Amino acid sequence: MLHYYDPSKTDPGKSGPNPNIDYGTPPSTSETLVSLSIDGTDIAVPEGTSVLRAATLAGINIPKLCASDNLEAFGSCRMCAVEIEGRRGYPASCTTPVSEGMAVTTQNGKLAKLRRNIMELYISDHPLDCLTCPANGNCELQDVAGAVGLREVRYGFEGENHLDAEVDDSNPYFSFDPSKCIVCSRCVRACEEVQGTFALTIDGRGFDSKVSAGQNDPFMDSECVSCGACVQACPTSTLMEKSVIDAGQPEHSVVTTCAYCGVGCSFKAEMKGDQLVRMVPYKGGDANHGHSCVKGRFAFGYATHKDRIKEPMIRDSINDPWKVVSWDEAIEFSAKKLRDTQAKYGRESIGGITSSRCTNEETYLVQKLIRTAFGNNNTDTCARVCHSPTGFGLKTTMGESAGTQTFDSVMKADTIVVIGANPTDAHPVFASLMRRRLRQGAKLIVIDPRRIDLLKTPHGTEGIHLPLRPGTNVAMVNSLAHVIVTEGLEDKAFIESRCESRQYKQWREFICEERNSPETLEAVTGVPAERVREAARAYGEAGNGAIYYGLGVTEHSQGSTMVMGIANLAMATGNIGREGVGVNPLRGQNNVQGSCDMGSFPHELPGYQHVGDPAVRAKFQDSWGVAIDDEPGLRIPNMFDAAIAGSFKAMYVQGEDIAQSDPNTQHVEAALSSLDCLIVQDIFLNETAKYAHVLLPGSTFLEKNGTFTNAERRINRVRKVMAPVAGLEDWEVTMALSNALGYPMHYNHPSEIMDEIARLTPTFTGVSYDKLDELGSIQWPCNEEHPGGTPTMHTLDFPIGKGKFAVTEYVASEEKANRKFPLLLTTGRILSQYNVGAQTRRTENSQWHNEDVLEIHPSDAELRGIREGDWLGITSRVGQTVLRARISDRMLPGVVWTTFHHPGSGANVITTDSSDWATNCPEYKVTAVQVEKVSQPSEWQRHFEQFDQRQLKLLKSEAGHTEPSDAPALK
Amino acid sequence: MSDQQLQNLIKMINQISDNNLHHGDESEATEVVANHIKKFWARSMKQQITDYATSDGVELNSVSRLAVKCLMK
Repeated sequence: MLHYYDPSKTDPGKSGPNPNIDYGTPPSTSETLVSLSIDGTDIAVPEGTSVLRAATLAGINIPKLCASDNLEAFGSCRMCAVEIEGRRGYPASCTTPVSEGMAVTTQNGKLAKLRRNIMELYISDHPLDCLTCPANGNCELQDVAGAVGLREVRYGFEGENHLDAEVDDSNPYFSFDPSKCIVCSRCVRACEEVQGTFALTIDGRGFDSKVSAGQNDPFMDSECVSCGACVQACPTSTLMEKSVIDAGQPEHSVVTTCAYCGVGCSFKAEMKGDQLVRMVPYKGGDANHGHSCVKGRFAFGYATHKDRIKEPMIRDSINDPWKVVSWDEAIEFSAKKLRDTQAKYGRESIGGITSSRCTNEETYLVQKLIRTAFGNNNTDTCARVCHSPTGFGLKTTMGESAGTQTFDSVMKADTIVVIGANPTDAHPVFASLMRRRLRQGAKLIVIDPRRIDLLKTPHGTEGIHLPLRPGTNVAMVNSLAHVIVTEGLEDKAFIESRCESRQYKQWREFICEERNSPETLEAVTGVPAERVREAARAYGEAGNGAIYYGLGVTEHSQGSTMVMGIANLAMATGNIGREGVGVNPLRGQNNVQGSCDMGSFPHELPGYQHVGDPAVRAKFQDSWGVAIDDEPGLRIPNMFDAAIAGSFKAMYVQGEDIAQSDPNTQHVEAALSSLDCLIVQDIFLNETAKYAHVLLPGSTFLEKNGTFTNAERRINRVRKVMAPVAGLEDWEVTMALSNALGYPMHYNHPSEIMDEIARLTPTFTGVSYDKLDELGSIQWPCNEEHPGGTPTMHTLDFPIGKGKFAVTEYVASEEKANRKFPLLLTTGRILSQYNVGAQTRRTENSQWHNEDVLEIHPSDAELRGIREGDWLGITSRVGQTVLRARISDRMLPGVVWTTFHHPGSGANVITTDSSDWATNCPEYKVTAVQVEKVSQPSEWQRHFEQFDQRQLKLLKSEAGHTEPSDAPALK
Repeated sequence: MSDQQLQNLIKMINQISDNNLHHGDESEATEVVANHIKKFWARSMKQQITDYATSDGVELNSVSRLAVKCLMK
């Protein structure tokens, strides 16, 4: 029997390797096949494959302990020894590559004896508490002991041993019990190869060898980032999730998608009944290939947190206590308020906000509700405040509002450019992949006011850091392009065949002007011209140059210009349309891409189809049965302005916390307070809900079915593993509200909503739940032209035909430092907390970051007599807040930095209304401030504290009056 | 309409104009700005800015003024 293994079939779907099997060593990418025979079975595998992997592919299991297919072969346990005809001894099959005509024997008397002897030695220094061990039922050591038939330990257990080694319980999520360690070093290698942090090591030699975090530190004090790759790699219970220690081994699992960042990792939710025991990253997930971060793997406790809103509630005024009501009553109350508001103030006086944390199907329904039942286009989403310039900029230049690559594409990049993004903190799993490529020798260019951790990649090449002044991105991108063009680094063939020549000529003339040279712009960006030239050459001369960017690009008054500048750079160098290149926005939230795709913006129907296009409207009108307004609606900041002006009076907000996340908090609070009716659908009483009149309980990603679309356009299934706490999934609530408003919606399952999306969206026509189950995931466009989806965009042409260069004039932000506000504040994220923190603050992740602090450069601190930990008043043109000082030289002098993960920090009390010219995306990254030592919280913080206390009291006064849910009746 | 709301609209349109003015070519910038407003601004916002341009308009920069005129056609 001859099996052929096809290396091109790496799809996690039915055709590729089974993600539930550990093949022992990583796959080889060679296209040359080698034939061999294993225990009499013939098999052909790619050259470079190990004998261990070849055997597993042939269905033959060789015992192993130190091998795992996500780690390079190590050959330390010797358990996988085999006999090879014509060779001496018993080579380890994990470190032995296949060769043509090889004849391998995996089982015979000698091998059995050898393996039993090795196992006997292991067990002589291992506690025999299997029955009470947390790994019981899922222990590789136990399985292999069983497989080799170990029956006695002749050495006894009295000799020198490690059985009394102390347990390290410092990490809140996993324990480290070295008494159970067999020193296979899988954890150490996972930390190096999979995560790329190099926090673990094997300390000592010979019998004294032991796993150590840092330099014999407790895990929490070491450099460990708690990604859990070591825990997953451990074949015993040495590294074990505390949730498993508490609950026991899970009994079933469901593959679903993480609801944190835009990487969109696939996980196996491992369950005991409806209790989630642990999240294990799924090897079959194409975004993460079995890796995860501290948020996705461990921070799921918020789903069952006591603060969850479990019943619908209503009130007439925000000073009234909440009244718990039935779903029916809450929906009727909401519908009546919305109708009354429209009757009094007009059709355009109400609107809504879709959620980038909810599913595609839910987002689609909310915007549909607004366009049909509300009868206007006043829909927007939180992408307004993060990646709206990406949509505008990429659509204008390349014709599609999305990134061009897969994450895996970075493994073919020769130069990686990271602009205004901090992947190790905000997109950690993708950062691990990037670091793997950097260890292989790819060049790194970082354009960021801060020295981000990616620049400190262990064993990576030395990166080029361009620490520019906040707000000068466009000047920087223009000077890079100037060097590319004037030094002859353009890809003329690409430009000629793929780009519009008129726009190109106009752009080229502009970019060649001396005012765009790095020497001239040095005074603006603060970066030495020679460094800029060096970076431009590294990108322009690279075989494959790939650009990754984040909110440090978009959240500026010239966010859209900068996105176009990046597209110009990629087109000018021909870095578009194949693997290893491209323009890649790193999306912040799990479904920001999806919420944009689903028509959340006021000017676009699903699939970025403009409301002003009569043909588009006709198609939707035909399907939805109502006329659609042909004018764009209000964007979030326009809604706030209209609310304060008195013309916008009611809002339906699903799964967003605009009161915490949007800039100029006092302005947002004034707007929310002006509303006659605010309906908030959320899992917690978030900051926005404190201004609400209706509170509809939301469901977490564990409680519903649907899909998320990640930063690489990958549509992934979200699968329900437990019942929604209040009985309804979010899409069911929107449907009920629509029905109450008189616009009928009837879906039995989110798959029916996806079918409707596919009918109306040209880039989704081939998407269905059946296909998602079959393929695992799909990268849109998925249609007749691309039935299996589109991993790499723009391979032959652009959706607009030819690429359009855009002239990108640098216009300085109006938000400037001066004598009164001499410092520039820029904001960002950290690893352990997520966005407004509503989820992660309700988990043990707060042990890493329990308050937002202000990072300030030592020279700025010295000037003001500031020491580490001092209370600092930070004052901008719009407000003041108080945070503790952290002295840090990660930024240049003159720049201060903070996060907005805690509501009481009031980081957004100081950010201003200044926004991107094209999309109104707020300029979070540039706020002129003054910083001084203070002794008490700001006035806003004192007011916030009082308001927060009062609202919590108003919530609690009604808690506990639970009536049976009427959710089934509404379905 | 509040003063603040109008002030924001004026600031927005002037910012759009500033970002699209290249080598002082006002006629091309006018077209881009007018198209941008047409495509992305809500009906009420368009109405407010045209009302302002007709009644006063002094705070609009020259491209913005031309763009609003273009919108009114």
